[in-house]
Amino acid sequence: MSSSTKVSRIGEELWKTKIDKVNAELVTLTYGTIVAQLCQDYDGNYHDVNKQLEKMGYNIGMRLIEDFLAKSNAGRCANFRETADMISKVGFKIFLNVTPTVTNWTSDNNQFSLIFDENPLADFVELPDDGRAQDELWFSNILCGVLRGSLEMVQMQIEAHFVSDVLRGDDTTEMRVSLVRYIEDEMPPEDD
Amino acid sequence: MSHPPRHSSMLSISNNVQTAATPSEKPLPPTQLQATSQTPPGLRVPSNRKTIYDRHLNRTRNGELSRASFAFLFGEMVTYAQRRVTGIQDLERRLNEQGYPLGLRLLDLLFYRTTSSTSSSALSSSSTSASPPNRPLRILPLLHLIHGPLWRQLFNRSADALEHSISPDTPNEYMITDNDPLVNTYISVPKEMNQLSCAAFVAGIIEGVCDGCGFEAKVSAHNQPSELWPSRTIFLLRFGDSVMEREKVLERAGVK
Amino acid sequence: MSYYFTILSPTDVPLFNIAFGTSKSGGDGIARFRFPEAAQNTYMTQFIIHSSLDMLEEAQWMGGNMYLKHIDTYPPASSYISAFLTPSGTRFLLLHQPPQPNLPPSSSSGPGGGSMSLSVTSGMGSSGLFGGSGSSSGRASSSSIAANPTSPQTEEAVRQFMTEVYENYVKTVMSPFYRRGMEVKSPVFRGKVSAAGRKWL
Repeated sequence: MSSSTKVSRIGEELWKTKIDKVNAELVTLTYGTIVAQLCQDYDGNYHDVNKQLEKMGYNIGMRLIEDFLAKSNAGRCANFRETADMISKVGFKIFLNVTPTVTNWTSDNNQFSLIFDENPLADFVELPDDGRAQDELWFSNILCGVLRGSLEMVQMQIEAHFVSDVLRGDDTTEMRVSLVRYIEDEMPPEDD
Repeated sequence: MSHPPRHSSMLSISNNVQTAATPSEKPLPPTQLQATSQTPPGLRVPSNRKTIYDRHLNRTRNGELSRASFAFLFGEMVTYAQRRVTGIQDLERRLNEQGYPLGLRLLDLLFYRTTSSTSSSALSSSSTSASPPNRPLRILPLLHLIHGPLWRQLFNRSADALEHSISPDTPNEYMITDNDPLVNTYISVPKEMNQLSCAAFVAGIIEGVCDGCGFEAKVSAHNQPSELWPSRTIFLLRFGDSVMEREKVLERAGVK
Repeated sequence: MSYYFTILSPTDVPLFNIAFGTSKSGGDGIARFRFPEAAQNTYMTQFIIHSSLDMLEEAQWMGGNMYLKHIDTYPPASSYISAFLTPSGTRFLLLHQPPQPNLPPSSSSGPGGGSMSLSVTSGMGSSGLFGGSGSSSGRASSSSIAANPTSPQTEEAVRQFMTEVYENYVKTVMSPFYRRGMEVKSPVFRGKVSAAGRKWL
């Protein structure tokens, strides 16, 4: 528990001292513009929009991890539980100024959930009232890709997907993250 | 000892009154109504029933996020746009179009915030006047709105210069300069390109603000590096003929 | 007092409409327009609103206020139009029609008691949405807002109403999926406008 508190203090400290900041709404509105543009380009095919968002996130994640490591000076995590803490309390803290709750671990410690009480990407957002968006679109799906891309760069293959979203009328916004495997002694993966 | 019964009898009376009055007023009490209607119109909402309408518009007014996050998102936006365009001009046009609706939104948000804020006014450039904000009727107040409040809303500072074309042939041209626009080194597209794209997006925002206010204009971004400011960018605003004609009419009418 | 509120895009596309009656002084919040032919209510309200757009466009460039107050009158139906212009050019227009135009404001003797008893009897008696129009106009006339559509109190009440609608309108347009000229269909928005009507008008 104390290590978790320590991690959260590191995140707070980094946010306060080492992070260049911009107006939060500029980020929110820019992201909203991206998603709305994709929905338009893909002609309301929300499954493809989800996929494209995940892909964008993956590209971001692969580059973001360098920035993260440089700023946080974080060493290698001893296990996946530590990784989860680091993601929530340092990663999300310094990039989105939120700390989603880590919970719902499976007994093998390979799967957990991130519950977002706050999600700056979704501020101001109401999904299209077309009878489909609330069933098909994962508005913040870019975040799944960011986790996949960044963790892959530190030798972890994971799978992440949202299971609920307040924008869909759910009571929580929850992302499920599963460790697939540790990538060992391999060449770094090629871009797809 | 006599308190509890009296209390409960009062309750039962008020209950009776309610049930007696309800049928004549409304066909069904709210709970029953919910249970009987199968699919209510509109979007589903969480059980706390919170929607965008329950969220205060000023909640994120002073919020901050990481500049890197903006850079990453913006970089992806540009990269994605690049794949769907035929050339640099097409790319600029596309980014301009993406900025345009943002300008319309920011305009409404800016004015809302000024009407709702009691203390410092977001729209008055530096004075502390508490008068309600005015829609710009003439070009100059519109430009001040962009140069000051809009820039502060987006970038937390005013733009650096505001100029009118000195050429007699182009009285409809104005320039807003940003010495150091929000560019960043994280983006994977070439640096020159990145500056240009970022600025094209902002040009679209400006165009949205102008158009929203009823000033038809074309806005473009141009790199004008100086020794001191290598990424200095000039936004060129060209107002349409109808705007210039109205400007003359309003001038004569004494409208400011 | 009966109200018809509409939101028009900068190019006059209707984005939202709602009709309601006053909730002040025991009013039941139901619109009862008195046009020559009741069946033409919707048509008439829209006709009157649209005939005021020229006045609006003129007022738009004479002053920079968002709330333009009462901009037009349509005497044949004794209707009044108030307008609010968002900075992005969207128009909010409110048509109001007092219950009995020829009735002087002071006509109802003992306004407090009279309206109270009327509202009770009407509440018990009328079962559906279309209560007796006679009793409703009697009630509404005791309100100062209803009595004089151009009084400062009315202008202020309408301003408050418009401002509250504007706040909700901004929330609508801030969503990245909202595009200019889109109809506002959210039932929550409709509820908010209704509530603002009950509160101020």
